[in-house]
Amino acid sequence: MELKNQSVWTGVEDLTKSESFIELASQEFTDLPQLPSQENNGFTATRRDFLKYLGFSVGAATVAASCEIPVKRAIPYVTKPDSIVPGIANYYASSFVNGGDYAAILVKTREGRPIKIEGNDLSKINGSGTSARAQAAVLSLYDTNRIAEPSAIANGKPTKTTWAELDKVVAGKLSAASQIRILTHTILSPMTNKAIAEFTKKYPNTKVVTYDPVSSAAILAANEQSFGDRVIPNYKFDAADVIVSVGADFLGTWISPTEYATQYAKNRKIASAAEAKMSRHIQVESYMSLTGSNADNRVLIKPSEQGAAIAALYNEVAALSGGIAVAAPALNAKAAKALKKVAAELVAAKGKSLIISGSNNVGEQVLVNAANNLLGNYGATIDFTEASLQRQGDEANAQALLAEMSGVNAVFILGANPVFELPNGDKFAEALKKADLTISFNPMMDETTAVCKFAAPANHGLESWGDAQPKRGHYSLVQPTIKPLFNTRQSEQSLLTWAGASPATEQPMYDYLRATWQADMFSKQRNYATFNAFWDATLHNGVFQVAANAVKPTFKGDTNGAAATVTQPVKADVEITFYETVNIGGGQYANNPWLQEMPDPVTRTVWGNVLSVPVKWDGINDFNGFKDLKDGDKVEIEVAGKKLKCTVVRQFGQPEGTVAIAVGYGRTQAGYCGTGVGTNVQAVLPMKDGRVQYFATAKVSGKTGEDKSFASVQYHHTLGITGMGKEEKAIINVDEKALGYKGFQGSLTARTVIRRTNLKEVKKFAAELQTERAHHQKLNSYTLYRGHMDKYTSGHHWGMNIDLNACTGCGACTVACMAENNVPVVGKDEVARHHEMAWLRIDRYYYGDVENPNVVYQPMMCQHCDNAPCENVCPVNATSHSSEGLNQMTYNRCIGTRYCANNCPYKVRRFNWQDYTTADIFPWNERDLRGKTLGFRTEMPYGADNLTRMVLNPDVTVRTRGVIEKCSLCVQRIQEGKLTAKKESRQLRDSDVKVACQTACPTGAIVFGDKNNPASQVSKLNQSDMNFIVLEEINVKSNMTYSVKVTNRDEKLEA
Amino acid sequence: MTDHFSIQFFYSMRSNFLKLRLLYILPFLFLSGALSAADIAAGKTLFSNNCGTCHAKDMKSKLTGPPLSGVQAKWGDDKALYSWIRNSQASIAAGQPNAVAIWNEYKPTVMTAFPNLKDDEIASILLYVADAANGGGNKGTAVVAKPGAKKSGNGLMYGLVFALLAGLALALARIISNLNRTVAAAEGANVAPTTLVDTLTSKGVIGFVVFALIVLGGYTTVNNAISLGRSQEYAPSQPIKFSHATHAGIQKIDCQYCHDGARRSKHSIIPATNTCMNCHKAITKGSQYGTAEITKIFASIGFDPNTGKYIPNYDNLKEEQVAEVYKTWIATNYAADKKLDPATAAASKDVKLVADAQWNDIAKSLKTEIKDKVQGPIQWKRVHNLPDHVYFNHAQHVTVGKVTCQKCHGEVEKMGTLKQASPLSMGWCVNCHRETEVKFKDNDYYKSYARYHEEIKKGTREKVTVEDIGGLECQKCHY
Repeated sequence: MELKNQSVWTGVEDLTKSESFIELASQEFTDLPQLPSQENNGFTATRRDFLKYLGFSVGAATVAASCEIPVKRAIPYVTKPDSIVPGIANYYASSFVNGGDYAAILVKTREGRPIKIEGNDLSKINGSGTSARAQAAVLSLYDTNRIAEPSAIANGKPTKTTWAELDKVVAGKLSAASQIRILTHTILSPMTNKAIAEFTKKYPNTKVVTYDPVSSAAILAANEQSFGDRVIPNYKFDAADVIVSVGADFLGTWISPTEYATQYAKNRKIASAAEAKMSRHIQVESYMSLTGSNADNRVLIKPSEQGAAIAALYNEVAALSGGIAVAAPALNAKAAKALKKVAAELVAAKGKSLIISGSNNVGEQVLVNAANNLLGNYGATIDFTEASLQRQGDEANAQALLAEMSGVNAVFILGANPVFELPNGDKFAEALKKADLTISFNPMMDETTAVCKFAAPANHGLESWGDAQPKRGHYSLVQPTIKPLFNTRQSEQSLLTWAGASPATEQPMYDYLRATWQADMFSKQRNYATFNAFWDATLHNGVFQVAANAVKPTFKGDTNGAAATVTQPVKADVEITFYETVNIGGGQYANNPWLQEMPDPVTRTVWGNVLSVPVKWDGINDFNGFKDLKDGDKVEIEVAGKKLKCTVVRQFGQPEGTVAIAVGYGRTQAGYCGTGVGTNVQAVLPMKDGRVQYFATAKVSGKTGEDKSFASVQYHHTLGITGMGKEEKAIINVDEKALGYKGFQGSLTARTVIRRTNLKEVKKFAAELQTERAHHQKLNSYTLYRGHMDKYTSGHHWGMNIDLNACTGCGACTVACMAENNVPVVGKDEVARHHEMAWLRIDRYYYGDVENPNVVYQPMMCQHCDNAPCENVCPVNATSHSSEGLNQMTYNRCIGTRYCANNCPYKVRRFNWQDYTTADIFPWNERDLRGKTLGFRTEMPYGADNLTRMVLNPDVTVRTRGVIEKCSLCVQRIQEGKLTAKKESRQLRDSDVKVACQTACPTGAIVFGDKNNPASQVSKLNQSDMNFIVLEEINVKSNMTYSVKVTNRDEKLEA
Repeated sequence: MTDHFSIQFFYSMRSNFLKLRLLYILPFLFLSGALSAADIAAGKTLFSNNCGTCHAKDMKSKLTGPPLSGVQAKWGDDKALYSWIRNSQASIAAGQPNAVAIWNEYKPTVMTAFPNLKDDEIASILLYVADAANGGGNKGTAVVAKPGAKKSGNGLMYGLVFALLAGLALALARIISNLNRTVAAAEGANVAPTTLVDTLTSKGVIGFVVFALIVLGGYTTVNNAISLGRSQEYAPSQPIKFSHATHAGIQKIDCQYCHDGARRSKHSIIPATNTCMNCHKAITKGSQYGTAEITKIFASIGFDPNTGKYIPNYDNLKEEQVAEVYKTWIATNYAADKKLDPATAAASKDVKLVADAQWNDIAKSLKTEIKDKVQGPIQWKRVHNLPDHVYFNHAQHVTVGKVTCQKCHGEVEKMGTLKQASPLSMGWCVNCHRETEVKFKDNDYYKSYARYHEEIKKGTREKVTVEDIGGLECQKCHY
């Protein structure tokens, strides 16, 4: 049911026009920083203290100023490598691989250190896009918590040893009869598999046990049953007109989200109203996933009804297409009704439809396969020829290993972390402690490494040689972009050394990889006659594709047998869903502060997982959280007899009687940034036949307290706020209320922050939109300053076009922006005080049905207004406008009045309340990332050490305390692109300048370019009648154009 | 100072010699030594341009060519020497005994022929050679008068004029006040004469003095505050006494041969040691400091000049091992210079002392507080420092703007020790951006500035400066 007079909303307070929300929104700077001393001893400064400090600081400044200029050194190379020109970036093609997570990447290096990751557009998998996780990989290279050398571990404490000694110990303990197990996540690398094979040759009783931190085992098993091929098939979302996902978060976390998002967006973009056409996406789920938030329709079910939903959908499809019905458990009436209509849509789009499911129940997955088979999707939208290899694990194997552990002599941990990741991790810990030889190749002292006997830390991916085969027929290379920072050794090299098969050369892994490719890959192609030519070309391109052998599967699954094993719905007051977040995954990425500080796209919380609880509508104008809980309340949940404390967030679109919380949080040993962040739910994950099930029944207590440092960016930096006026008793514009007068420029109470429509009404909507825009533009054209805008007609005029329909909210751009622009991480406490520094945020708005709303994501950054309100309030001219349309922020001029931030209608300016980048010469002055007070002269805050600072982009100033900063449209890239064109004496091309958020985006939602160049992509996109400008009516002349959000929603699906 | 000034004076006189007969005697009396000084100076220039590449400047060490100390005495016959200099191969062919002897020692190196050198030019060179061999007592260096001299003359003049006018004003004021008093007295008023003390302690004067002090103090403070952190004329001593005057001036090595980043990168790049080795693998001794400075390059990169080969595994050698290599080199050269018997020289205390002293200096200058060994990069002191919030790109100025290096860095080719010639202040940058024209017609990039092209075509615009295309906007340099 839609509420009247409500366009979009961000949360309950916004929707109910709560006074607290209006209060919050009308205050630009909510929470001023507290100095550490105030917290510690209640210190308050008196007038005399003030004078003392004033005297001291003037004196100190005088002394400091009279010092001589310090001597700086200029240190050249001894022998300069040919390929390096200081000041010019080199790019190397490589691959990001973490277990089954994969992206073909280009690594930007400056003076020999990797500083940024871009997508490799030669890749047919992720193209030029990347995920937030891939973007953040460069920071994990410089993680100070990495194990720096081979170590013997006792009681969780490492003692330094050498590789030679470790090799001796291993050789002494292993024999041909040794039972050896290698416990790992999915291995994508053919080279690693070959190395393991060589190791197995020497030690024949070696077995590889593979599982994935978040399981897709049931899909593998179901495909083995249905088609005899234990693999994840190749899904083609771009070939599907109707997509039904039953609990699969394929745009956020499921299997290969970057690849799927790229395909998905192709059928979602609308170039113009006249040619409007898009796919239909129905999400059947029990919590608001990233994918669900992008869906046209969501069918809400309880977690335990997933099997029933799949069976019902299969039966409906079967009924319409001549299949045999199976026995199906009962499903709630609303969902059953909706699924009947969905099935009809699917059948109507036979061969152009796609059903997927995230279920970890084999029976349910077999029914999904059966339905797809009835719809003729195999060979059309699903194939096995280029099947995905990105998930190969089955945690049942890990359970089997646990059972036979007493007979195992040695366990090697290859990237896996079973002690944390598996529900019975404590049992793994016990078993590992008893094993004779346990060696962990993991780079960090994680939960599993701590109970091993030795750490043989492997190189980071950016320091390694390797390869990957993410899909059949798709290969890519991993090449090092920096010498190993620590005394680490690639795990393959360790295995080969122990097998006595490591090449005795200067670069053993390089030679081994070359030899592997010469033997296995060279023969797969015909383009290059010699191996050297093939190798050089492949290393340059990073990716290598061959035509995979065509596989035509025939469905032979037992649908009735499958139906018998689907989950039966339970009757419980509360059911809980466990899901994976976009940023932290199954916990592997917990120690990466960029990912921790990236807000979860849906809940908008940072640094921790929260319990999403449903919101109940009273049918009039009030919304109550489950058990009257409010955001930031603490509760206790009880799952399978275990009690957990967690923080609550009210979530629209969360079905009644269900709650949801993310896995992968609450790591006990993850390093400085990851340890103890959030609630650890791994131990309460239920298992069925050795496979983890991501739902359970739960009990939720009432409010037990409040989370003081609850950090959600939900209500930070809101714009265009409307609220229920107390005196007026009507919805009013808060900004105008504050001003004390209204009426200018139309007295708009519905600000044009978001424009959205339904596909059916798009033509009418576009016509109305453009009429309204023309009216705004006419009003805006009355000016006292004729000719003022003429200067932008010559030279460049930068602008951006952002497609709200293509943006899935995945957040890759926000991490890319932090990496490119040296944006600091500030920690949970600071975010809780609205002090997050991100230049680019993705606002999430709900709209439509308050009980089952749609979601629109809006990337919001400085709009570079040509009539910028921030510029004319700066008393020191620190922010000014360039002739190319850039709103320029000059840090060295800024004195921190924050008038500009106050006056920014888009709320995109960020103030450095603290010295977040630790440019202070006294680092202990600073608050720490984790809210800890630092010891005098003993400790340094996060990021102050020289290792972490290696990630900084040398072309971007590191900002200090007391200045404002904001999106610069990557001006360093603009200047670099212009210089390239000038050096080559040619006009600037569109491809010369691409900004960081643009290159990171997998769906191409962000396009940047020169608006004065009619051939540029942005000029072409700006022609569309689907465009609007945010707050165009206030005449700030923004240079950013957005494209209308269109949904293909069937309003009557549930009616 | 007087000397320099007079030399210039003398030069200008000499050119007008005939016209100014009357004045002829004056400089001549004052500056009896100046004639030879002038010739030596001319000889020095000629030597630098023609001979310095192969002959050592100290006239005592062997470089590509032999040391020139006492060359006239050695040849005895100036005519033969002159013809040798003009064309050495002809002298050898003619069988001139001196010529044949040198050829036998130095063949196959051929001395460049200088057929264009005039007799008086060669005489000047020889004069300079003799002078330099004696330690250069007759400083013929500073031929150009410093511009400062002229400036101080003006200052004195202004001072005098000021004092004169001030005195006049005071006198007139006194006269007016006397006249006023006289008039007042004449009108019958009894006016007590104001004393000087009264005047000086009057409100007006004190007020004026205070006001003047505040203005002066403020002016000084502001000026000093502005110059805080600026370091024009900064010329720190470097770990190696590297002379741009020798390399860029005398040898005419192109700036971008060593600073090869300037054309393509933001950094001009301090050359790596291996760039030095391109030449110094052959030139193992300096003309000024012998082994003392060039050995530092070898010690940085691990080149053994004794054998002419690079030392394997150099980075891991102990300092004693490194010292041994280079002390041997220093000692051998010292012994050869002093013409000591190579057999006994190694044991000589004198040789050892020199080698030790020189090596200690080398080791000291290659180590810093952040680098505790000799091996590895040479840690130069950075002369041109821009604050971190300033983005400067050499390629933009050198390749695109075609700005010469000297425009910002001054006459580096004349600097023995490099100094910061320009203030590198924002005002200095901005002024240049205001005045400098962009290469608007030559570079196709600027085609996108269609309006300016139209205006040029119409004739309403003469030129396009950096300012016109946004060169004064903040984010051209600050981001």
